[in-house]
Formats: sequence, C-alpha cells, structure tokens
Amino acid sequence: MRTPIVLARGSWPHRAALLVLAGLVILALLWASGLAQFRVSQLTSVFIYAIAISGLNLATGYTGLLSIGHSAFFGLGAYTTGILVMRYNLDPLSTILPAVLLCFVVGFVIGLPALRIRGLYLALVTLAVGVAFPELVRRFESLTGGARGLVIRRRLLNPPPWSGFGPGERAEWLFWLSAVTLGAVLLLVHLLVRSRAGLAMVATRDNEIAAAASGVRVAAVKTTVFGLSGAVTGLAGCLFAMYLAALSPDGSFTLLKSIEFITGLVIGGAATRLGPLVGAFAVVYIPYLTANLNPANVSQGQLSGVLFGVVLILIIFLMPDGIVGGLSRLSGRLLQVHTPTPLVQEENHEASTVSDSRDLTARGVQ
Amino acid sequence: MSLLLDRLFDGITNGCVYAIMALALVIVFRGSGTINFAQGELALFTTYVAWWLSTLGAPIWAGLVVATVVGLVLGAGIERTLIRPVRRRNDMAVLIVCLGLFTALNALAGLIWNSESKVMPSVFPNGLEDYLSIGGARLYFDGLGVWLVVLVVVGLMFLLFNRTRLGLHMRAVANAPESAALSGVRTGRVLMFGWGVSGAIGAVAGVLVTPLSPQQLGLQTMFPILIYASAAALFGGLDSPVGAVVGGLVLGVLQQLIMGYVGFIGDTLPQTAALSIIVAVLVLRPNGLFGTRQLERV
Repeated sequence: MRTPIVLARGSWPHRAALLVLAGLVILALLWASGLAQFRVSQLTSVFIYAIAISGLNLATGYTGLLSIGHSAFFGLGAYTTGILVMRYNLDPLSTILPAVLLCFVVGFVIGLPALRIRGLYLALVTLAVGVAFPELVRRFESLTGGARGLVIRRRLLNPPPWSGFGPGERAEWLFWLSAVTLGAVLLLVHLLVRSRAGLAMVATRDNEIAAAASGVRVAAVKTTVFGLSGAVTGLAGCLFAMYLAALSPDGSFTLLKSIEFITGLVIGGAATRLGPLVGAFAVVYIPYLTANLNPANVSQGQLSGVLFGVVLILIIFLMPDGIVGGLSRLSGRLLQVHTPTPLVQEENHEASTVSDSRDLTARGVQ
Repeated sequence: MSLLLDRLFDGITNGCVYAIMALALVIVFRGSGTINFAQGELALFTTYVAWWLSTLGAPIWAGLVVATVVGLVLGAGIERTLIRPVRRRNDMAVLIVCLGLFTALNALAGLIWNSESKVMPSVFPNGLEDYLSIGGARLYFDGLGVWLVVLVVVGLMFLLFNRTRLGLHMRAVANAPESAALSGVRTGRVLMFGWGVSGAIGAVAGVLVTPLSPQQLGLQTMFPILIYASAAALFGGLDSPVGAVVGGLVLGVLQQLIMGYVGFIGDTLPQTAALSIIVAVLVLRPNGLFGTRQLERV
C-alpha cells in the first residue's frame, strides 16, 4: 500500500491547499448562481438545511445529546422572523439576531433536563418539544396566524439596497446570503470543535464521568451546547422564513422535519465537519429525484419516505460515520493532515484524562 | 352527572388503548432498554393489513388474528435482523434504526395502500344505538369491547410473566441479562420474543382503536397514540407493566377531564398536555410511579 502524503497543519503546502479549495468553492458557487432560478432555489434550500443540520450536529454529533425536537428550533427561528417582519415591520435581516438569541435561550432551557437525564430520556423530552411546537403555533393564533399560516409579503423580503441586488433578484440574494451564512457557520463549528470547548464536548459524549473527573463542567457544556445548537438551527429557520415566505405549523415544522435533520446528519456523518452539507444534499435531492419515479397513483413523498428509512438503517449498518466519515477514512490513506508536535504536549494532557484517548482522537478530533 | 360519566367512559376507553400500547413499549424496554419509536407505525402497518383483508371480504375477526400474527413476526424479525446487530454499539444507533423504521413503515403503508383515509370496520357492534345506558350516560358496546379485550390482554400478559417459564426468562433477562445468560437462558430468543409480543399487542391495539377515532384509518392514526402511550409508560415507570396499565388509564381519564373542564388547554393542546406530563415526570421523578430506581455505578 502507498504511504499517505503527510501535510503539517499550518505549513505552506497545507495553506496553499486550503486556498485552492476555497477558490474552487467560490468558483462553484459563481457557476451555480448562474443556473436556472429553480436550481438556484433548490441549492438555497440545501444550504439552509445544511445550517440546520450543523446545529443538530453540535448537540447530537459532537456532544451526544440526541434531539428529535430540532424542528421546533427551526420553526421558532422562522416564526420569529415572520412575526417580527409582518407585525412589527422590521427589516428581515435585523430579525436574525433576536431570533437566534431567543432560540439560544429556549435551547438552553430545554437542555436543562439533560443534566439529570440522558440518552433515550432526553430524546423523549426533545420529542415532546418537537410535537408541541405545531400545536402551540395553532393555539396562539392571534400571533402566529394559527393553522391558516403566516404569509410574509414578498415586498418586505426584497434584497436590501446595499447588497447590490435589484428588487427582482430575491432568489439570487437568498442564495448568496445562505451560502455566506453556511460558510460562516461551518467555520465557526470548525473552530469551536478544535477548541478546548470542543474537546470538552467530545469528552462529555464519550465518557461523561471521566470528563467530569478531569474538570470538564459537564452541566455547563451540555446546556450551552444545546442552546448553541438550537441557535444555529434557529438561524436556518430565519433564512427558511425568508426563503419560503409562507409559514404553516403543519407544513415544515412537524416532527418529520426533525427526522429529516437526523437522517441528513446520519447520512452525511455525525461529528464530521462537512457531514451536514452532504446530508443536506441527500435530504433535498432524494425526495426530488424519486418524485419522478413515483407511480402516478401514489401521493408524493411515500417512496422517498421508504427510501429515507432504508437509507438511514443501511448507513447505520454499513457506514456508521456517514458518507463524510467513510470518505475521510478512505482519503486518509492518500493524504493526512497532522498537527505539529509542540501543541500535542498540551492536548495529550487533556486527552489522556479521558478513559480511552484513542477513541477520542479517532472519533472526534482528527 | 351524565356528562361526567360520558367523559369518564370515553376516558377509560382511550386509557385502555394507551395502556396496552404502553404495555407493548414496556415489554420492549425491559428487554432491550430502548423505547421503540417505531411501535406505533408497526401497529399502523398491521392495522392496514387487517383493513386490507376486510376489503377482500374476510371478517374483521380474522383480520385481527392475521394482523396479530403479522405483528408478532414483524416485531421478532425486526429485533433479530435490525436491532440486535447494533444494540451493543450504543443507544443512539438503536434509536436511529427505530426512527428509520418509523419513517419507512409509515411510508410503506402509504405506498402500498395509498394515503387516503380508510373506513375501518369495527370488531364490535358500533351503531349509534348500540349502547348501555348507565346513569343517563351512554356506554357504547365498542368501548366496552375494548375494555374487555384489554382486560384479556393484560391478564394474558400477567399469566405469561408470572406463570410460564418463558415469562420467568423474560423477567430474568430484564433484571440481569448477564446472570440470566450464564444460567442458560437464551437471551437472544427471549428478546426476540419480547419484541414479537409487543408487535402483536400493537396490532390488537391498532385494530381496536381505529374504528373508534373519527378520522378512521390514516397514516397519522397511530402517532398520537404512541405519544400518549409513551407518556403513560413513563408515568408508570418505564420498566413496570403494572405502571404502564395504570399510567394509561390515568392518562386517558385525565385527558378527557382536562379537555372537558380546563378551558385554556381545551381540545387544542391535547398532545402538548400529554407531553408536559412526560417532561414533568422525567424531571421530577425519572423512575415514574412504579418503576425501579436506577442505580449507577461510578
């Protein structure tokens, strides 16, 4: 077998490779933005999903808090934007900050039970949140428009003048807005995961007791991560509200959306940096591509539902790290990026306190 | 007074259904230590089988029996082929497999029998005139039938757990899987049987409950019931069959009373109310009313 090429992190070939990659991504985006409007919108929804799944990845992938309730954060973000724009005449972009903050607080509060309960039971609490959200939206009709839905006037969603997009170029504006936001989210997740806090998250996931014993404040990690996770998914919800411009409790914010997020995360690869993006492609394109295969007498979505379920189970059996995890293991045979030694001194100290440091490095911190 | 009795009867009927679904969840949980999120959709699928047989001209009793057998086989098959291989890995893998089953079974039912609502024939007479009058309140025969069947199922489960060798093995596996295996219990088979039994119970619950509900049989029929059943199971303590039955009945009655008498919640937030119970139980008393305390070795 060939020995892999080893690049040191921060060395000039590594930096050059990153620059080339970034350039290629920008070129790909430029090319994609020139596609037909339908395709551009589809890609926008992929980016929005990828942001939402990145949020889920923080809690479920890196910290091991399984959530079946992230549809609620998605909805909360979307409805906050919708309500602030329609009822309080705010500019759509300025609604993002309050929405994200609100989602963080709600996520933090929902994370509180995670201090006492874990795994399955936490999944039940999040299930409760996910199921309750559409009911609450219907109940508080005066604010949310109830079952009839909340329609945001298109005029209010036009691109701001400073962006350089004309009033008719809403699709392009959202495409770039989502792409840039996604890039920022992926970068932030990357930095977070590589930081001390990221190590604490992974340690909490792999062995809570050992993590606590070595000084990780498990309670703070869990609640804060759940809040962050909710905030990121809520951010995706804001963009989704601008994208769809019509919100209804039963349309996009039911438990099925949560299951879609989990499916995307598992397919793409939990606890991987690019897993959410790959998963988002799967979640958007599998139903789209199978819609044409559906026999005419079957209502839409059934075949893709079966496929989702089967793919989900197959991935668990065949590729537990998802597509990105599997690919990066393969590519590891050709190319490895390795952190230069001086840092290892410090990281070893932290890693060896977790019962199985090999497991830690293999699963989380490459 | 008669209104209260009416609500009470409705509550007990619903509660009976929650109770046996909760029982099915508890049987799986005791063996495998997981909540089977696909339980409801498994029941849905078998109910569709019963409905399909009834459209072919089979009496619904026969449909019930076939559905039960299908539930048994499906449940056992799922445990053997899908759950057992990933069980040792971690909780999350099992949960995700269950979620996959949830999506796939629901969509498969829609794919085979399309997604329009069906009219499900009832096992019991369910005309508007088929009722007993008690204190001015109407106790419909189909409700009474559900009570009886649930009583029979619970009785059978009691006998199974307490009077048979297999039941003893099931309890042994639930309490101490390793010791049970060392004393010659074939844990794998016992777990498989547990999943099979809960699949069968789910089928009974599905066939009984769908004719009661106004929307009849649709793809969304079983999901709310699963939610209530999980609340009931948690309320009673996830590893206690008695707790599941009591929890189901209490939840059913409570729900009717809340819907009838608490204006703010009314009939707009039924699931939220049930789920608040889940959260409250988990936070305040994680072992439920009848559950055993979990000790953790550090």
